[in-house]
This record gives sequence, structure tokens and C-alpha cells, in this order.
Amino acid sequence: MNTYLRIVVRWSSIQNGAMTLLTNHLPDERQFEVVYAGYFDLLVQIAIHKFRVPDSEAETLAHDVLISYLRKSHDVIELRPWLVGAICHASRHYWRLNSRTVPTDAETDLDRADPASVRILDSLPDQLAAREALECLNERCREILSMRYFEGCTVIEIAERLGIKPKYAQKLIAKCLRRAETLYGEKGKMQ
Amino acid sequence: MSDHEKVVPFDRGQRQPDPARVAEFAATARKLQQEREGAAATVTRLLAETPYAEWPKLAQREELRNSGALDELSREVVSRVDRVPLESLAIAQLGTAVADSLSASSYPVVVLAQIRAQAWKDRGLALCYLARYPEALEAFDRAEDALRPFGTLAHDRAIVQFARATTLQEAKRYDESFALLGECKTIFIDHGDTRRHLMCGIAEAALLHRMGKFAEARTAYSDLLEQATEINDRSLLASIHNNIGHSSIELGDYTSAADHLDRAVRILTELGQPLHVARAELARGRMFVRKGDYETGIAHLHSVRQQFLKHNLVEEAGLCGLDIVEAHLLRASTIEAEAFAWQIVREFTAAQLNARAITALGYLSEAIAARNASVATVQHVRQFIRNLRKQPEAEFVATA
Repeated sequence: MNTYLRIVVRWSSIQNGAMTLLTNHLPDERQFEVVYAGYFDLLVQIAIHKFRVPDSEAETLAHDVLISYLRKSHDVIELRPWLVGAICHASRHYWRLNSRTVPTDAETDLDRADPASVRILDSLPDQLAAREALECLNERCREILSMRYFEGCTVIEIAERLGIKPKYAQKLIAKCLRRAETLYGEKGKMQ
Repeated sequence: MSDHEKVVPFDRGQRQPDPARVAEFAATARKLQQEREGAAATVTRLLAETPYAEWPKLAQREELRNSGALDELSREVVSRVDRVPLESLAIAQLGTAVADSLSASSYPVVVLAQIRAQAWKDRGLALCYLARYPEALEAFDRAEDALRPFGTLAHDRAIVQFARATTLQEAKRYDESFALLGECKTIFIDHGDTRRHLMCGIAEAALLHRMGKFAEARTAYSDLLEQATEINDRSLLASIHNNIGHSSIELGDYTSAADHLDRAVRILTELGQPLHVARAELARGRMFVRKGDYETGIAHLHSVRQQFLKHNLVEEAGLCGLDIVEAHLLRASTIEAEAFAWQIVREFTAAQLNARAITALGYLSEAIAARNASVATVQHVRQFIRNLRKQPEAEFVATA
């Protein structure tokens, strides 16, 4: 192999552990267990809410993803994106093998929480804190989140009231939640 | 009703994993961890104390029949594949023999699939380096077969597909390789694996270079510089600069070539990789010859050759020497060309390198003496010696 290819094709080095350079040591058993406890629920939620995988199957997929991580821990630079990528691919694969028999309900789909947003809301200590967080927002975001979480409106109802498409309403909700989390965090630091 | 009571509960509950599964996970983590410990020393010792011809028998050794040892065998395959591909293949064959014979109950099925797929992927890699492309592709098929039932192993599958794409490039099946690299990129980026994503980009650019689309290749490489800088992968950054240098040489843009080769050399020096520095400098020497600056080129190539000899890389030094012979021929210095060709013959003989290489070099020296040699003759001999790495039994066929 000539010089050019030798350098181009150093791909072989990444196949087995060149990335170990990026992690000085392998996580020990306890660290693995922390990973399992910390991510199992998120992975299951993604499979269920984003891909509509049945609950029990979603748990199996999440378990398999976490088990498969064990042999790749030295190779994974960023854990969360790796796990999320793996569960998304696993869920799609699940549906390739088990073609849908139940038609999806568009309205139900829209009402399902975005898994990323789910975590954000979780991080707010309680519902009062959520109200406090709302106070940090601009008027539009406050209005959107109030409709969603204080008035109990569905995404479709919010879209109708704002005169926008449901998909866009869903995006706005997620965006406002992220903003609430950021601003509320900043407020906390200042206090 | 107070505001507080009006709050819509956001009740998704914290899902508790099945204790049996947690126990399986913990037990697997513990087992894999224990197997990693000491595996490197075991594999190194067994390979060192066992004659090469008897390596297949090592498949029966209990201490190799686990994930940790197989990972170490995999590292041995990769580390030897460039230097001694036949040894690499022998180790890869040992790896597949061990992996395939592990009992179904030894690991969770997902882990077992990963272990087997890695072993077969390594075997494909070694076969690719030996130019046995159909067999390499069959090995990748085996790896993918192991992974196919598990949707959770998309990342593993993309790694195998990346190896397949590279093999397809070697086999000149460029379109298939290109399509596969696109699929791999998607999967790698989905998993946040920016490094392998970048590697796919480099492979795509290399593909363009191989197809003779040097301008497109250079653009593609240049587009990757930012990404390599962003993920702070100095080694890949050096590769990209080096490859831009090569594409620029092909385009006759020697200023850009020199600039990028300079950068590659600087980074590789900082990384403490003297042999890669020498290889980048070899490209610079060829560039001088290419643009007709023979004196500078020959002097530069001599200094590169010394680096290879310093590391006892006689064959690589000899190949570099053939660039010097070629430069002498280009400037019509036949006597110097002949003398240098004989010197390479002596070095190869002293180092007891492949007798067929010595025959080819002897033929070249005599052809130069008889004024029958051209640059094409040198290139033919150089190609033959390179191919001996893959086909040590190949016979030299004279061209002049």
C-alpha cells in the first residue's frame, strides 16, 4: 500500500480502540450500573413515545442497547447521543420486523411528549417551581406553556388558539420549555 | 380552584427496570471487566511462545476463549495488518475460530453477536490487505449475518460496513463503496460518533482521488478540515493535510501541496510519529522530482531514506531508493541510477528480504546498465515489490 493510501486507510486503527485514547480508563462495574439506572427510563420512553414501540418490547430494546454498550464503552465518546442513537435505530428495526397493524392516531401522536422535553420538565423540582419558571419567560412562551400545563390544552387546541399548525405548536412548546429551564437555572444561580 | 390544583400532572413515572435484567447487566459488566484484565499479557505471551504455524491450535486454549482475549487478538490483527498481513490473517482466523466456538450461554445473545461480528470483520480486514477481496467480502457478510437480528447493533453494523466500503474501494467497486459510506455516515452521526463520521468523509474524498477526480477530492478534504479541528483529532487532521498535499501534487499546485505537507509534518512531529513524518516527507521529495527540481528532490529523498533505514525498514527504504533511481533516470544520470539500484540490491540481500524482490531489483540494475530501463521500468519493479507484501510467491515478469 503506497504512502497516500497508508495514511488514508489508517481507518483500521479506529476499528479497535484508537478511541481508547480519549478515555483514560474503562468505567468500573459500578459506573456501568449507574449508566443503566440513569438511562434505562429515558431509552424506554424514547422507544414508546417517539416510535410507539409497545411497552414490554421497549424495555427489551432499552436493555439490549445498554448491554451492547458494555463492549463498546471504551469506544463511545459521548454516552447519551450514542445510547439515544442506538435506541432510535433499534426501534426502527423493531418496526421493520413487526409491521404496524394499528393505524397511528395523529392527535394522540401530537399529544405525546417529546422525550427531550420530558427530561426538562423532570428537572424542575416541582410544579410550583414550574410556575416560577414561567415568570421568567417572555409573554408568548408564558402563554403557550400556561395553556399547555395550567389549562391542560392539547397541542391541537393550542395550535387552533394561536392560529398555527400543530407541528409548529409542538415545536414552540419544546422551545419554551428549554428556555424556561435555562432562565430558571440562571435565576437560581443569582439567588 | 387554586392555580396549583389546576396544574396538569405530567405523569410519566420513573420506569423501574426488571431486577432480573439489572442482574444480568451487572453480571455481564463484571464478567467483561474481569476478562479484560490480564488479557493483553496472555495474548502477547501465547503468540510469542507459539510457532506461527501452530497458531490455529491456540483456539483450544481456555485462556483465549473469552471476550477480553478476543479483543486483544483483534488489536493484534489491526496492529500487524500493515506490516505482516499474513500473520494478521492467521490471528484473525484464530479469532473467528474462538468466537464461533463460544457456547451460546457464555454471554447474552447481543454480546455474543458483537464478539463474533468483530472477529469476522477483522478477518475481512486482513484478507483485504492481502488483496483477497472476494474472501474479505464474504467475511464481512458473516459479520453482518451475526448482527442482523439485533436492531440495537446498528453502530456495530456500520463499522463492518465501513470496512466493507474500504474493501470495495480496493476492489475498484467505487460506486458501491460510495453508497455504503453514505449509509455509514448517517448511522455514525446518529450515534454521535463524530470521529468515524469524519473517517467516512476522508474515505469518500480518497475515493474521488482514486477515481482521478483530484480537484473534487481536494475540495472534499478541505471541507473536512474544520470538522477535524472541531473534534480535535490531530491524527486525522494530519492525514487530511497530507492527502490534500497529494491531491494538490496531482493538480500541479505545488505551493498548496508544500503548505499542506508542511502542516501534516508539523502535526505528526508533535504527535511523535517519525515514520508518518518520513512518509509525508517522501511525498514532498516526489513533488520536487515531479516539478523537475531533481537535485532538491534527490537530496530530500536521501534524507527520508535515512529515516527508514534508521528504523530498520529496509524494504521501505528500498522503495524510497527507487524514487531516487527514477529521479536519476529523469535527469539522464544513468551511472548514478545504476549504482544506486545496485546499492538497494545489496541492502535487500543483507536484510535477507524476499528473493523475488532481489531478482526484480537485479533485473532493474542490469536494464539500466544496458540502457534499456525507463521510468516505467522502475515503476513496474516498485509495484512488484509492493505487491509481494500481499502475494509473497508472485513471480517477477520483466517488461523491457
